[in-house]
Amino acid sequence: MSGITKSFPGVRALDGVDLDVLAGEVHCLLGQNGAGKSTLIKVLAGAHQPDGGAITWRGDQVRLKSPMAAMRLGIATIYQELDLVRGLSVAENVFLGHEPTAAGFVVRGRTARTATAALLRRLGHPEIDPGRPVGELSAAQAQIVSMARALSHDVRLIVMDEPSAALDPDETDNLFRIVADLTADGVAVVYISHRLEEIRRIGDRVTVLKDGRAVAGGLPAKSTPTRDVVALMTGRDVAYVFPPRPPLPPRGQPALTVQGLTRRGEFEPLDLEVRAGEIVGLAGLVGSGRSEILETVYGARKADAGTVRVAGRALRPGSVRAAVRAGLGLAPEERKAQGLLMLESVTSNVSVSALSRYARAGWIDRSAERAAARAATRELSLRPDNPDARIRTLSGGNQQKAVLARWLLRGCRVLLLDEPTRGVDVGARAELYAVIRRLADDGLAVLLVSSEVPEVLGLADRVLVLREGRVVHTAPARELDEHRVLDLVMEGSPATKGSPVWEGSPTP
Amino acid sequence: MTQPASPAGAADAPVPGGPPPPAPAGRKEAPATTRRPLGLRADVRNLSLLAVLAVLVAVGGFTRPEQFLDTANLQLVLTQASVIGVVTVGMTFVITSGGIDLSVGAIVALASVWATTLATQEYGFAGILFTAVVVGLGCGLVNGLLIAYGGMVPFIATLAMLASARGLALQITEGRTQIVTVDAVLDLGVPDAYVLGIPPLVLVFAAVTAVGWLLLNRTVFGRRTVAVGGNPEAARLAGIDVRRQRLYLYLLSGLCCGIAAFLLIVLAGSGQNTNGNLYELDAIAAAIIGGTLLSGGRGTITGSVLGVLVFTTITNIFALNNLQSDVQQIAKGAIIVAAVLVQHRTARGATEH
Amino acid sequence: MSDVTPEAGGRTSRRGMLFGAAAVSAGALLTACTSNEPKNSAGSAPAASGAQAADDKPGTPVTIGFAGPQADHGWLNAINENAKERASRYSEVTLEITEGSNDTAAQIGQIQTLINKKVDVLVVLPADGKALTQVGLQAMKAGIPVVNLDRVFASPQAYRCWIGGDNYGMGLNAGRYIGEQLKDKPDAKVVELAGLDNLELTKQRSQGFDDALKNYPNITKVARQAAEFTVESGQAKMAQLLQAQKQFDALWNHDDDQGVGALRAIEQAGRDDFLMVGGAGARSAMDAIKSGRGVLKATVLYPPTMAASAIDLARALGQKKGVGGLAEMEIPSSITLYSAVVTKDNVDDYLPTGFN
Repeated sequence: MSGITKSFPGVRALDGVDLDVLAGEVHCLLGQNGAGKSTLIKVLAGAHQPDGGAITWRGDQVRLKSPMAAMRLGIATIYQELDLVRGLSVAENVFLGHEPTAAGFVVRGRTARTATAALLRRLGHPEIDPGRPVGELSAAQAQIVSMARALSHDVRLIVMDEPSAALDPDETDNLFRIVADLTADGVAVVYISHRLEEIRRIGDRVTVLKDGRAVAGGLPAKSTPTRDVVALMTGRDVAYVFPPRPPLPPRGQPALTVQGLTRRGEFEPLDLEVRAGEIVGLAGLVGSGRSEILETVYGARKADAGTVRVAGRALRPGSVRAAVRAGLGLAPEERKAQGLLMLESVTSNVSVSALSRYARAGWIDRSAERAAARAATRELSLRPDNPDARIRTLSGGNQQKAVLARWLLRGCRVLLLDEPTRGVDVGARAELYAVIRRLADDGLAVLLVSSEVPEVLGLADRVLVLREGRVVHTAPARELDEHRVLDLVMEGSPATKGSPVWEGSPTP
Repeated sequence: MTQPASPAGAADAPVPGGPPPPAPAGRKEAPATTRRPLGLRADVRNLSLLAVLAVLVAVGGFTRPEQFLDTANLQLVLTQASVIGVVTVGMTFVITSGGIDLSVGAIVALASVWATTLATQEYGFAGILFTAVVVGLGCGLVNGLLIAYGGMVPFIATLAMLASARGLALQITEGRTQIVTVDAVLDLGVPDAYVLGIPPLVLVFAAVTAVGWLLLNRTVFGRRTVAVGGNPEAARLAGIDVRRQRLYLYLLSGLCCGIAAFLLIVLAGSGQNTNGNLYELDAIAAAIIGGTLLSGGRGTITGSVLGVLVFTTITNIFALNNLQSDVQQIAKGAIIVAAVLVQHRTARGATEH
Repeated sequence: MSDVTPEAGGRTSRRGMLFGAAAVSAGALLTACTSNEPKNSAGSAPAASGAQAADDKPGTPVTIGFAGPQADHGWLNAINENAKERASRYSEVTLEITEGSNDTAAQIGQIQTLINKKVDVLVVLPADGKALTQVGLQAMKAGIPVVNLDRVFASPQAYRCWIGGDNYGMGLNAGRYIGEQLKDKPDAKVVELAGLDNLELTKQRSQGFDDALKNYPNITKVARQAAEFTVESGQAKMAQLLQAQKQFDALWNHDDDQGVGALRAIEQAGRDDFLMVGGAGARSAMDAIKSGRGVLKATVLYPPTMAASAIDLARALGQKKGVGGLAEMEIPSSITLYSAVVTKDNVDDYLPTGFN
């Protein structure tokens, strides 16, 4: 690809991007949200038509008029939001759009199932039944099905958009093995990830995008220092910066007190306390009950037993409204699905929980609402500084800030954060961490859940380690390190192959 | 693990080549950027509907200049739009919230026959108006309870209401036409009652439209409606009582049906169980071509009213040109498709991202 | 309604109670309002008097099964009333009447039930004549004579006797009446407000109307719009017709029910410069004709008394008698009723047959 340009009204998403991918290599694409990665791969997949530039495929200039045209050439794309039909079976999904047929229209189900089973074996997941509906599969299994779908074409180039986002370390290892197999067969892979250590492990070369331009192309993936890569992406010199903790643990009143909270099958009786000004982290693997605990504290799930108190007052169980009224606020895990009104403006999203404060007898004072929303978003340095911008045009980090601003505006005492940096790029994370710490310093109690152990360790004052719905260890964060936590969460499960989940960023 | 080593302010520290630091909070407002994407999109849709309406007016004026372009015809078109228009305003709210109300036509029928029985007519004007409105609200209440608290899918709950309300309407009338003899009601529908040349029915329609517009765009209720339709889970987690909001929405739709039933009684001077035939489809079609999203999360009262006017004008032009109902139906379908296609094109051009 | 969860009741109980109280009192008021009985019930006495049946004296007992469509229209309701009233006159006649239904399958089921009950004679007004032919044949094969009312079966073998109205004749008589009124007026203009266009009977009525007007070269039909046999559609279509035609001399409206709406539109437009002829023979139309005020001067009948006659025919068939007043030994296989024109002069004769 050379000189690719793509403009949308008001935005120049791609500005003369060059990208060359060799057969049999893993070419990594790096860049912050909004840098143009998604647009570039959509052009490659035939989903967007470039305004300028040329695509050369095995020596010939081609036009990718539609996703079908791209597939016919052997270009397959695995999107970040899995594009599978939940009601159809695995085999039906794999062959969706190119079903093996008899007499031109009768679908030959058995052929499809056999071929699917073969693909799944090749991908190291023979346990997935080709006849099962995709809706019953786990996120990781669905990822495998997506991959099988890509491989069901005679594929020469696979584009993977953050394939490891929903995977556990074991599953990520399996993914890397598959990628290695593919490249050994001469298939080229374009790999997009936020996780630098992944790129180090499997990448051959790296292209870095920033603001719709390729700021560096074809860097050696293994030997380029992390620091240089981050500098290229952010234009900044720092990688992963956590704000300093206060020297002593906060001694305020307990803002949130949880006693004996239970949901059968999800987590066992839980006691915890978060003081004003304190950040408490919950660390654990996928499936350890982290998110379930947060949602139960919030009343979005009804507890089987136990109490939740905010500033000493017990909440009615199973009522989000009671929780919100008492001063709880949740930034949910699935920001787009659970947190945001994607069609609406920043203002609407920020003011939604505090609307009645800007209304008299039901009438909204729109200028007061807008001013308040703007003040709250400015306090969090949300960009663009435009309360009328539509929320879906914002980057992940700024969307998250909008969710935080909502609770800031509402004036809550306890903030529940579920994976606050999911889908947020490296540069913006540091800023979010600083914001969260600042909120705590201003007297909020924060309960944090993250699947990234360094994040919990770096941000929280105190950490609860969870395994299979049970707290196995509680300690101040400064007394723990990543290996200790991993040992705790993995205890009893098959030993890990020693691959670090996160590569520590270098000390500046 | 690496511990924080750089100062907390790192994120805000200006870095060569980095983004400019955000304006500190509390500083004077930057010149307001008046880009309002949502408003813009609604405007584009409304503009294209206005264009459709303009084309229709041109066709009407060209084919039947004497009959089409006069005050009486304007009064006629607006009057005929009033009943379905009021229903469509209610429907717009329900659709914006991600629901659907298939029972509107049946509720109009039930309310109009209940309000025109001999026993109700004993109570005169007030009795008829009261009965129409309360029957509409009652049906809306049942819909709302079934959907919000009974957990029924709106499509099914309102389909059930459609069947039972029509059945009850038939039972009350036994198929007879109930002629209204209350003069105060009848007099509202004749030219003597026109206010500055505007029929009272049209005034009611305009009032309902204005209230609906304000309710959707300027109140907490409207904002919550949009939130519930756009992302019910996010609305719930933001602390909105989604179920109560849904209940209110179906009540609102029922209320609109009750008002529409009263207008229909005034217009037709009678109540009949066949009233409101296929209103549900007309109202949904008008709302959708107006730009309300069938999946919820976006609604426009202006668009809905324009949609109603487009349909009424089409009917008017066809009738004035003495074209028969088969041709009318074909053309109506074609115009729905054309209007939506045109909108998609213009809307995409303006908002593609 | 009763399954309000605690969450609904909880915090908003006071508001809820107020609302509940309002709803209950409104409900009480409303229930009283469903009644449709006139204050001093004059009763709508259907059926003509002094029909010439075989004889009025009680004969051998006869059980008549009656199946009709759902009475969702005034005329169909009158059909049921006429049949019941007629049957009640004869002490030896038992009427087995089914729940009216517009669903073909349901009606077939109901008729089969009547066959199984071994009624002596069947009177059937099918929701859809073609679709119910088979069940008519079934009854005839089982030895039960069928009197087919109005909507005709596809095969003459499916009934012993058909009795029904004359749609073509309705149009013809309406056209003739209008023609006679306007025959001396040069360049007279006529407008037609038809019924549901996808019904065969609407086409027949329009055809008859057009054929009659051909005899009057001075008359032109300038416009035709189809309504849907409902008041609402009658008002809407008539309003448009009045706007389209600023001047015309006569209007024929196919159906008196939609005529209620049409008259309302005429009132709203303030027009009285033409004469109007209705169709079917509703009570309200006859009252208007009798009063002589307003534009409605006549209506052509499509008499619901045919149901009463059908009961007479069924009784005669059950008792194996002929009809009086004819030389024939047997009951005719087909009887087409005459669509009389009701005007102010003869309205008193027909008033009792007018339906609500």
